[in-house]
Amino acid sequence: MATRPVTGEQRAFMTGNEVVAWAALAAGADIMYGYPITPQNEIMHYWTRMASKYERGFLQTEDEIAAGFATVGGVLAGKRAFTATAGPGNVLMQEAMAMAEMMRLPTVVVVTQRGGPSTATVIYSQQELNLTCFGGNGEGLRIVYSPSSHDELFLYTIKAFNSAWKYRFPTFVLGDGYQSKMREPVTIFDPEARGITMEPCRPMVGLPGLPGEERDPAHLRNTYNLEDELYEVLMTAIKEYEAIAPQVVEWDTYAVDDAELLIIAHGVVSRAARAAVVSLRERGFKAGYFRPVTLRPFPAETLRTLAARARNLMVVESAYGQLKRQVQAGLYGLETPVTGYLRPGMGITPEEIVEFVHAKELI
Amino acid sequence: MSLNLKIALAGEGGQGVQSVAEIITEAAYQAGFQALYIPNFGVEQRGGVSVAFVQVSSEPVSAPKFTTGDIVVALSHRAVERVRQYVGEKTLLVYEAGLEDDVRQVYGERQRRLAVPALAIAQEEMHPRVFNVIILGVLVGVTGFLERRDVEQALERQFGHKFAQDPDLRELNYRALERGYEIGRENL
Repeated sequence: MATRPVTGEQRAFMTGNEVVAWAALAAGADIMYGYPITPQNEIMHYWTRMASKYERGFLQTEDEIAAGFATVGGVLAGKRAFTATAGPGNVLMQEAMAMAEMMRLPTVVVVTQRGGPSTATVIYSQQELNLTCFGGNGEGLRIVYSPSSHDELFLYTIKAFNSAWKYRFPTFVLGDGYQSKMREPVTIFDPEARGITMEPCRPMVGLPGLPGEERDPAHLRNTYNLEDELYEVLMTAIKEYEAIAPQVVEWDTYAVDDAELLIIAHGVVSRAARAAVVSLRERGFKAGYFRPVTLRPFPAETLRTLAARARNLMVVESAYGQLKRQVQAGLYGLETPVTGYLRPGMGITPEEIVEFVHAKELI
Repeated sequence: MSLNLKIALAGEGGQGVQSVAEIITEAAYQAGFQALYIPNFGVEQRGGVSVAFVQVSSEPVSAPKFTTGDIVVALSHRAVERVRQYVGEKTLLVYEAGLEDDVRQVYGERQRRLAVPALAIAQEEMHPRVFNVIILGVLVGVTGFLERRDVEQALERQFGHKFAQDPDLRELNYRALERGYEIGRENL
């Protein structure tokens, strides 16, 4: 075995795509399957550059449908497998991810959102929230992390492998083109150095022993004949998902205790939202900030408590209401008005948010 | 020292604005500042105006892009118009001196400005390839938050492999940096 890719903690100044490749290495990922698409490409590039040094694998498939299913196959073989994609590639991967959902396979997908729909732009958006949370023909039994900095991109890529293998739901790291391409300081680390133990992986196919005699047969299904049969399997999965949700759900807040205006954002946009709150506070306005770190499961309960105390809620996102709908669904029945600053495919700055707050007299 | 500096740089592909952005943020990071650099990486990368967004701060940087720059750099005819949206009342516009007419046309007379004859210096005194290093020097000089040593180290990290092959190149780059730095200092 080659030496560990990261020892202890190391400071670096790098792009988000490099961060993801380092995180997957540090997490002990065995293999990446992938198909090129901007802005994800460099995750593959860095992974392939480094993987062979640490005896890890890589397979470039013919398209994203194959990359998704190859990841499913890698997981079935007991490998800590992952893929990365964006935009139309994320669309194509949904079939495989729905299979992972059906079969409770711990796949890990890093999504670097680009403008949509279709080919649109190669640059940036937050328009893949719906797709990543609920993209399959199922109930969205997935875990979706939305990091907002390179430090988090590193942490949650590692965490994605652990959550996937611990809870056995397909797990996603929902990044974006900005996070992929920007350089900022990051501390990368060996998970062990932070007391993080990687969940063990075990194969589901090719097990030793004679099935039926020396061991139970592996019965892996994504097809069911009867409605009741499917219903039973689904309800078991749904109940398990609901049971683990409180352990999985994560959020971040700032200055919420006396907040009259609560600004809600996720991912890279939450950096602008937080800065806007700091700036509003400096001028004496009682603003606070809430960020769902997990988009699935969504931290609705915590948000509800905070939202009930506020006079106004404002959702800021680089999409046209994908986060806002989750917020409103979570807050159903609450009468606090929700206003959206919705900029599909556009970056958002703190100055714009502050200006909008005043223009709409939200505070 | 409390610092919060936003710089947008724009030029034609090949003029080296991304390298300038990378070197200045790398140097800032190594000198202990928070730094964030993001290129505009759309299809523009292939033959259009190349834009880089740089932020250096004592505090962690928030959004990767910004509304208005403290310094905006325009190095080509098309870039002058392209960066208009990032230029505010207080913005210092740094531009290649040959673009004087374009700048006057777009920004009038009142904009804070610094014309840098980088093209002429590079061609007449040095080498066309160090055009962007002169601009880098100007930015280091005019902002004053970096030691030249920090920038030289960042240059080494960026171009060290090239310097190793051709030591004259190092001397050339250092000279370009110094020349730009002096122009920047004079206008601090």
